[in-house]
Amino acid sequence: MNFSRPLRFIAFVAGAITIASALNVAVSKKSYSENYPAVVCPPTLPGLSSQISLSSKKTQFQRLQNRSAKTDSVKVLRLPVMKDSLLFDAQGSTPVVWQSKTGNWAGGAICSGPASSQWFVGASADITTKGRLIIVNSGLSDAVVDVNVFTENGKQPLRTLNVSSKNYLVIPVDSLAPGDKTLTVNVVPRSGRINSFMIDEQGKGLRALGGDLVNPTTSPSRTVVIPAIPNQGKKPGQGAAPAHVLRVLTPGDVDASVTVELLSADGVFIPVGLNSRSISAGLVTEFTFSPKISSSAFAVKITSTEPVVAAVESSVAIGGGKDFTWSTAAPELSEFTMAVTGLTPLIVFAGSEINVAVEVTLVNGKSIRKAIKGTDVATWRVPAAARSFTITKVGKQTYAGALVSSVNGYGYFPIAPGSVLTRVEIPDSNIRILNP
Amino acid sequence: MASQAAVDKHRVTAVLVSHNGAVWLPEVVAALTSQTRPIDLITAVDTGSQDSSTKLLKSARIPFISADVETGFGQAISLAVNKLPKSVDHEWIWLIHDDCAPAPTALAELLAAIDDRPQVVMVGPKLLGWHDRTHLLEAGVSIAGNGARWTGLEPLEYDQGQHDGNHDVLAVSTAGALIRRDVFEELGGLDPNLTLFRDDVDFGWRARAAGHSVMVATGAVAFHAQASANERRTVEVDGAFLHRPLLLDRRNAAFVLLSNSSWWILPWLVIQLLGTAIARAIGYLIAKLPGYAADEILAVGSLVVRPGLIIAARKVRKKQRFVSARVIAEFIPPRWSQIRLASEGVVDAIRAKLFPENNQVSTTSVLDANEDEDLLTPVNTNHWFGIFKRPEVIGFILISLISLLNSRNRFGALVGGALPISPAGATDLWRTYFESWHQVGMGSTVATPTWVAITATASLFFLGKVQFLITTFFLVAPVLMMFTASKLLKRLTENTWISIPAALLYAVSPVAIAAVSTGHIATVLFMVLAPVVALLLSDVEKIESFTWRKIAGVSLLLAVLYGFSLMIFVIGLAAGLISTLSDYEKHAQEANAPLYSLRLQKRAALIFVPFVMNVPYSLETIKNPTRLLVEPGLLISGGGPIHALLGNPGGANSLPIWLVSPILLALIVSLFSSTHARRIAEYGVGALVIAVVISALSISTHGNEASSKVWSGPVLVLVTLAAVAAGTVLLDRLRETLVLSHIHYRHILSALLLFTTFAYSVLAIGWSVTKGADSLVQANRATVMPAFLSVEKDVKILVLREVGSENEKKIQYYLSRGKDISLGEPDVAPAQTVAIADAARGLIDGSGVTSSSTLSDFGVKYLYVKAPFKREIIRSIDGLGGFSRTSATSLGVVWKVTAPASRLMFVGADGVRKELEAGEVGARTYVPSAGTLILTETYNRSWQVLENGYRLDRNKNEQGLPTFTVTEAGEISLIHDGTIRRAWLSLQLIFFVIVLVMALPAGRRKSEISEKELA
Repeated sequence: MNFSRPLRFIAFVAGAITIASALNVAVSKKSYSENYPAVVCPPTLPGLSSQISLSSKKTQFQRLQNRSAKTDSVKVLRLPVMKDSLLFDAQGSTPVVWQSKTGNWAGGAICSGPASSQWFVGASADITTKGRLIIVNSGLSDAVVDVNVFTENGKQPLRTLNVSSKNYLVIPVDSLAPGDKTLTVNVVPRSGRINSFMIDEQGKGLRALGGDLVNPTTSPSRTVVIPAIPNQGKKPGQGAAPAHVLRVLTPGDVDASVTVELLSADGVFIPVGLNSRSISAGLVTEFTFSPKISSSAFAVKITSTEPVVAAVESSVAIGGGKDFTWSTAAPELSEFTMAVTGLTPLIVFAGSEINVAVEVTLVNGKSIRKAIKGTDVATWRVPAAARSFTITKVGKQTYAGALVSSVNGYGYFPIAPGSVLTRVEIPDSNIRILNP
Repeated sequence: MASQAAVDKHRVTAVLVSHNGAVWLPEVVAALTSQTRPIDLITAVDTGSQDSSTKLLKSARIPFISADVETGFGQAISLAVNKLPKSVDHEWIWLIHDDCAPAPTALAELLAAIDDRPQVVMVGPKLLGWHDRTHLLEAGVSIAGNGARWTGLEPLEYDQGQHDGNHDVLAVSTAGALIRRDVFEELGGLDPNLTLFRDDVDFGWRARAAGHSVMVATGAVAFHAQASANERRTVEVDGAFLHRPLLLDRRNAAFVLLSNSSWWILPWLVIQLLGTAIARAIGYLIAKLPGYAADEILAVGSLVVRPGLIIAARKVRKKQRFVSARVIAEFIPPRWSQIRLASEGVVDAIRAKLFPENNQVSTTSVLDANEDEDLLTPVNTNHWFGIFKRPEVIGFILISLISLLNSRNRFGALVGGALPISPAGATDLWRTYFESWHQVGMGSTVATPTWVAITATASLFFLGKVQFLITTFFLVAPVLMMFTASKLLKRLTENTWISIPAALLYAVSPVAIAAVSTGHIATVLFMVLAPVVALLLSDVEKIESFTWRKIAGVSLLLAVLYGFSLMIFVIGLAAGLISTLSDYEKHAQEANAPLYSLRLQKRAALIFVPFVMNVPYSLETIKNPTRLLVEPGLLISGGGPIHALLGNPGGANSLPIWLVSPILLALIVSLFSSTHARRIAEYGVGALVIAVVISALSISTHGNEASSKVWSGPVLVLVTLAAVAAGTVLLDRLRETLVLSHIHYRHILSALLLFTTFAYSVLAIGWSVTKGADSLVQANRATVMPAFLSVEKDVKILVLREVGSENEKKIQYYLSRGKDISLGEPDVAPAQTVAIADAARGLIDGSGVTSSSTLSDFGVKYLYVKAPFKREIIRSIDGLGGFSRTSATSLGVVWKVTAPASRLMFVGADGVRKELEAGEVGARTYVPSAGTLILTETYNRSWQVLENGYRLDRNKNEQGLPTFTVTEAGEISLIHDGTIRRAWLSLQLIFFVIVLVMALPAGRRKSEISEKELA
C-alpha cells in the first residue's frame, strides 16, 4: 500500500495545528482600571476641634460641600479642620483624624473611602449621654441610608434617612433608641457614596466622663480581634483597677457562644467567666472584666459560633480627668501606608506570630525601617517626628491598633487601610447582556 | 351516395373540413364511407392544405371546395352549407374534422338519439383518443368562469362507459357534431370571429339561448386526434396571431364568455379572466414556457384593445336570444369542482413524483401459481413486537428518547446561548428583514441576513409562531440529523446494523450536542442538511455531468445554508479552489479545455450563485470579512484548535475535552484504508484542517466588542459526517476481512476504533441527558429588562451587567431599546460608540463625572444595572452626579439621566435642549421655532427631515450624530429612506425567482409531447 498520500494528509493536519498555534494568540479576557477613591474625614462638630494627619503636603483635598471638581493641596502635614467634612485624594496613604474636646476627651479615626456597611459598636442612648451619628454623603447624588439599631432590648425599628448630595447628617444617638444603654448601630447605604462616623460622649449629671470616636467595622465575623486595649492598671489610692467592658452583638437569628481570649505580654488566657458564654441573637450584651496584667495594652480575640461584632470600652485617666476609649475590631493587617503626623501612637500588634516590617517616613523626608517581632502581643511606639509609616511586610493573622494619648484624652483607631487601591475591570460592550 | 329516406326521415350532409390533415384523412374518409347508416351527402372544404389532403379527397371522390388558408372552421362550414341544395325538413349537417374518425355506427346512434327529441338541434358523439382509443376525451363540453374548457373528466380518463347515456349538455365538440341545418342557418352558423376553438361552445350556448337543446349521445363514438390543439399542425386561420393555438384558444374562450354572458356579470368575468391569465402565465413561466405565458396575457389583451368585437357580437346574440343567457347556468361547472379537479391534479403530480409507479410488469401468470404452496409455506410466527428488533426502529426510538430527556428544560420559548428570544410572530421577523434601519444599540443599517426571511417563511407552517418553530426544531433536530444521515449511509452500506448506529453516532456527535445546547441554529440546520447536500453532490467529481437544473436546485439548497452561515461559503470556496487546482493539473496532462472549462463554470455556479442569492448581506462581508465566520445570533466563543482537532467545537456547554470522540481516529484509520473510505476521509481531513485553522482565530462582531474564538461548528459538521461515512464504509466489509486474515494491525485498529466509539457513545449520551440538559439554551427564562422600562417607546437605556461564572466575572454593557434583544437583532448590531464606551467605563471606575452628560448627548435616558452587581460600583454611580435613582429592586437599580435625553432633541436659539416626541424610526412632530434638530441615532445619509415639503439641511455634530437645521416653526417629518434596501431586496427576489425557475422541472410544449403520451 502506498502510504505517501495518507501521510501527506496527516502532514496537512500537523501544519494546520502549527498555523493554528501561531494564530491562537491569547485573548486578553479582562483589562482593569486602578485608582484610589477619595477618602472622607468626619466634620468637626461645634465644640470640638480636629486635626487630620497627612503624609504629604501635596495631598489634594476638597471641602464636602464644594460642588466643583476642583481640589487644593493641603500644604501642611497636619491639617486643622474648623467645620466641614473633607475629601482627600490620599493616593494610598490613609489619613487619620484626631478630634478632641478641650479638657474633656479625645479620639481618633481613620478617613476612608465609601463603605457598603459600617457597624458601630459603642455609645449609649440614655439621658446622660451625648453621642452623635454622622452620616456623610460625598456623592453628587442624593443618598438613601438604612440605620439599624440594636440595643440590650433587641433590634429597633429600621430608620431610613435621605442625605443630600455633598452633605452630612448629624443624628443624636439618644434619638436612635431612647433610654437604652447599650447600642450597636449598623449603617447601610441603599444608594450614595456614604461614610459614617460616631462620637460617643458620656457624663454623669453635669460631670463629663469623657468621650471617643467609635471606629466602625465592616461586617460581623466568627473571629474578632480587638488588637489594642489600654490598660492603665490600678493607681495608688484607687480601690480597684479600671474595668473593661466587652460589648458583643450577634446580629443574626441564632444565639452565639463566644469565648474571649486575652492576649498580653503577660500571656494568653481566658478571663474568668468569658469562656463559652452564650449571647442572645439580636441583643447587645456586655461583659465586664478586669484583667490582672502588668502590660499597658492588651488585645482580645473573640471566637464565636455565629458572626459577631464587638468592641471594648476602657476607662482611662488623663491628667486629672477621666476619659474612655472604644477599642474596636481591626481587620487582618496588610501592606499599606498610614499618615500619623503629630500623633506618636503606640501601635499594638496582636497575633500568634508577629513579624511586621515597617518603614517610617519622618517629617524631614528621611525614612527609617523597623521590624517588629513577637508572639501574641507586640508594641511599637511611632517616632515623634514621623509623618507616616508603611507596613512593608506582614505575617498572616496579624492585627494592629493604635492608642494615642493627648492632653485632652485618650484615643484608639485600628491600623487598617482607608485609602484602598480600587481595581475596577474595564467593561466590554456586548449585546449578549440583553439576552437572559 | 344513395338517399336514406327509406331508412329514416332524416337527411344528413357530412361536411368535412381539411387542412394539412393527410395523416388522418384516409382513416376519416374510410370511417365516413363505412357508416352503418350511410351519409346522404358528403362535401368537403379544404383550407389551403400544403400536403396531399386534396389528392386524398379527390381519390375518395369527395367533392370539395378550396378555400383560403386563413379560412376559419366556421367559415369553411358556411362555405359548404351555402353551396348545398335548399334546405329540407329534418336535414342535418354532420361536421367532420379531418382528424376525427367516427365509428361505423356513429351516425346511426346520433340519429337514433334525436329521433324522439325534436327540441335537440345539436348532438355529438363521445370523443375518444385517436391513438389510445380507451382515452375518453369528451362527452359534451362546457366552459368555466375563467375560460377553461370544461369536460368534467379527469386527465387521461379511461373510458369504461362511466359517462355513457344521452345527456343534455351545453355544447358538443364540432368534431362529429350533428346540427340541424335550419337552426344552423337561423343562428348564422358558427361565429366567424371564432376561427378555431371554442366555436362549439359558443354555438351550443347560442342554440340554448334560442330555446333549443344540445345533447351528447355516447352511443355514438368518434376518435379525435385534436391535431390543432395538440400542435400537430400549424394553425394558420385568420386571427391566429403568430400561429399560436393556445393564444387563439384563450382569446376565443374570453370572447365566448364576454359575448354570451349576462351583462351584469361581465365585470366579475373580466376580473376572473385577467386573474386566471396572470396566474396561468406565472405557472407557465415557472415551467419555463414563456411563449405560453405570453399567449395567456396576449389573449386577454387582444380582446381588451378591440372592445367593438364584443359589443357587436353581443348585439347579434341579443337578437337571436329567446330565453335568458342564464339558461346555461346549470352547465357551467361550479368553482369548487374546478378547485377539486385542480387540487387532485396537484396531489396526483406530487404522488407520482414521490411514489413513481412500478412499470415492471410481472411475467408470472396467475395460472402458474401453485395453490398447494400455501400448505407448504410455514406459518409466519413473527409477533408484532418483532418490529422493535429492527435497527431503524431501535435507533430512532433511542434518539427520540435522548432528545426528549436532553430537552426537558427546553419546552417553551427558547432563549440563551447564541439564541436570542424569538419574537411572537413571523411579522416581526419580516419587519426586521425588510426594514432599512434597525433600532439596535445606536442603530444600524447593516443588511439583515437571509436566514431571518427563511425562518419567517418556515414559521408559516407553525401558524406564524416563531417560538413554536424554534422549540420544535431544536427538539426534533437530533431525530432529523439521524434520519438524513441514515439516508446517506444507506447508500454506503446495505447493513442497517452499521448504518443506523453510525447515523445515531452522527446525531450525538460533539458538534451536534454542542450546537443544540448553545443555540447555534446554523450548525443544527447544517447537521440536518449536510447529508442531503452530500447525497446531491456525491458525484461532484463528475460535475460536468450535472445538468444546469441540478446546479440550480443544489444552489437553492446551498443558498439556504449560506443564508444561515457564510462559513459554508468559505468551505465551498476552499473546496472549489482545491478542485480547480487539481483540474488545472489534470488539464495540463489531458488538454481537454472544453471539459475543464465546463467543470469550472459549473463549480463556480455552485459556489457563487448561492452567494449572489444572499445579497446584500453576503456582499457586506467584503467590508466586514469577520461575518464570514459567524452564525446567526450572539457570538459564543469556541474552544480553540485542540477542541476542533477532536471534532468538538468547544466553548460553553460543549462536551468536556476528556470525552474524546472517535472522529479523528476514524479519519486517520480510514486514510490508510484501501476502500472508498479513504477518499471520504480525505475530504474529512481537508475540512478538519480548515476547522483547526479557523478555530484559532478570534473575532469581534455581532455587537460583541471583545474578541471571541470562532465557533467552528459548521466545518466540524463536515468533519463529523466524513468520519461517520468513512467509518461506515470501513466497517461494512471489515468483518469478512478480519475473519479471513491473521491477527495484525488492522485487528488492533479496529478494536481500538470500536472501543472508542462505544465508550464515547455511552459517555456522550449519559452526559447529554444529565449535565447536557442544563444547557445555555433554556425555555421560559425571565427577561433581562424589567417591564417598567419597556413602557416608554423607543427609549435608550445603558445596561450594565456582570456576567460569567462565579470565578470569572466580567462587567459588560450595551444600549437597550427598552426590551431584550430578539432573533435577528444581534446580526445587525453595530459596534459601540467610543464616547458611550468611555462613559460606561467612567461609571465603573468612578471617574465618569461627565458620563451623565455624554449619555444625555446620545439620547440615553436611563442607566440600568442588572442585579447581581457589585455594590461598590452602584455606590460609585450614586456619587457621580447627573443621575437620579428611580428604582432599586431585586432585578436591579435604575437611574434616570437628569439632563434632557430623547431620540429627537431640539436646540433653540437660546441653546436650551428640549425633548421632542419621536416614533420608533420615523416621526411627525412639531418644532416650536428655528433651531437645530439632533437625532440621537448613528449618522446615516438616509435620515431625512421634511418640513413644508422641503428637506432640511443635514449635518453631523461633534458626537457624530445627524443634525438638521430648522428655519422656522412647524410640523416636521423624520424618515429613514429605505429605497436602497428595497432595491437590494428586489434584486435578491429576482435572483431567487430566476434560480427557482431554473431548478423547477421544465414544462413541455404540446408539440414536444409524443403522440403516445397524448394518447
